[in-house]
Amino acid sequence: MSASAIEEHHSGQQHGVELSPEQQVKANRFGLWLFFISEIFLFAALLVARFFLWGDTRPELNQVVGLIATTILLVSSFFVYRGETAIEHGDNKRFMNNFLWAAIFGSLFFVGVVVLEWNVFGLSGEIAGVEIFGHLKPTDGVFGGVFYAMTGIHALHVLSGIFLLLVAWYNGRKNRFSADDNWGVEGIALYWHYVDVVWVFFYPALYLIGRAV
Amino acid sequence: MNDKTNEPTVTAGYKRDWRTGWIVFAGLMLLTLVEYFAGTLPNPSAVLLIILGLIKAALIVYFFMHVYRLWREEKHG
Repeated sequence: MSASAIEEHHSGQQHGVELSPEQQVKANRFGLWLFFISEIFLFAALLVARFFLWGDTRPELNQVVGLIATTILLVSSFFVYRGETAIEHGDNKRFMNNFLWAAIFGSLFFVGVVVLEWNVFGLSGEIAGVEIFGHLKPTDGVFGGVFYAMTGIHALHVLSGIFLLLVAWYNGRKNRFSADDNWGVEGIALYWHYVDVVWVFFYPALYLIGRAV
Repeated sequence: MNDKTNEPTVTAGYKRDWRTGWIVFAGLMLLTLVEYFAGTLPNPSAVLLIILGLIKAALIVYFFMHVYRLWREEKHG
């Protein structure tokens, strides 16, 4: 090793490895995806519990509420995609509008689960002869336990996602993102879509697969 | 990196990305409706519902989450 190479080597050790902005974003993405993979274990465990304990049955749940909740979450994901696309093209105004709409739809999903499906206020009511408030309690055996575990863990992720969407929106107001510097938006968008992907599997597992008993 | 551009720049790429978003969203909604009707049949097929879920997840992971960017060396933005 030549003297200059040794000097360069030691200099690198002293100052650490500097990543270019592109390399840093790539490393950030990789780290976030590793986090998603680690979370798969949690959600997969819940799905395994559902299929093991419920088998070929499921509780009687309101199908319309399930469909509407799924649609609302997909709409919010669509708005997040639009917002992310907008900031990647330097359109801060559209990014902010779309993220705000995503947060509103995400909140609708959360409120829908808590008020309609969990029925925390103990309400009752019908629309077109169909009961819209849930009747399942956490203490209703394996049906209640698994249902509340799955929807509860997912709702917690939705709640944190809404908070993050609003953080991104607030930073957008301060003009902190641009076409070339928007990792904050991309990371939050990835998280929100991930929460959506989880529901894509939870929806049929909870509402559709098996005989209603 | 520090280019804080706030002016909307409607390029062909921007329009293409918006169109992609609409198409993927329409596909997801269609698959959700198919799931709903398949699931409300007297004997819903678990395999069919899982396959539909996998297709929906793949659409989101590829088009909305841009999973391919993990392997691509690119300029951010």
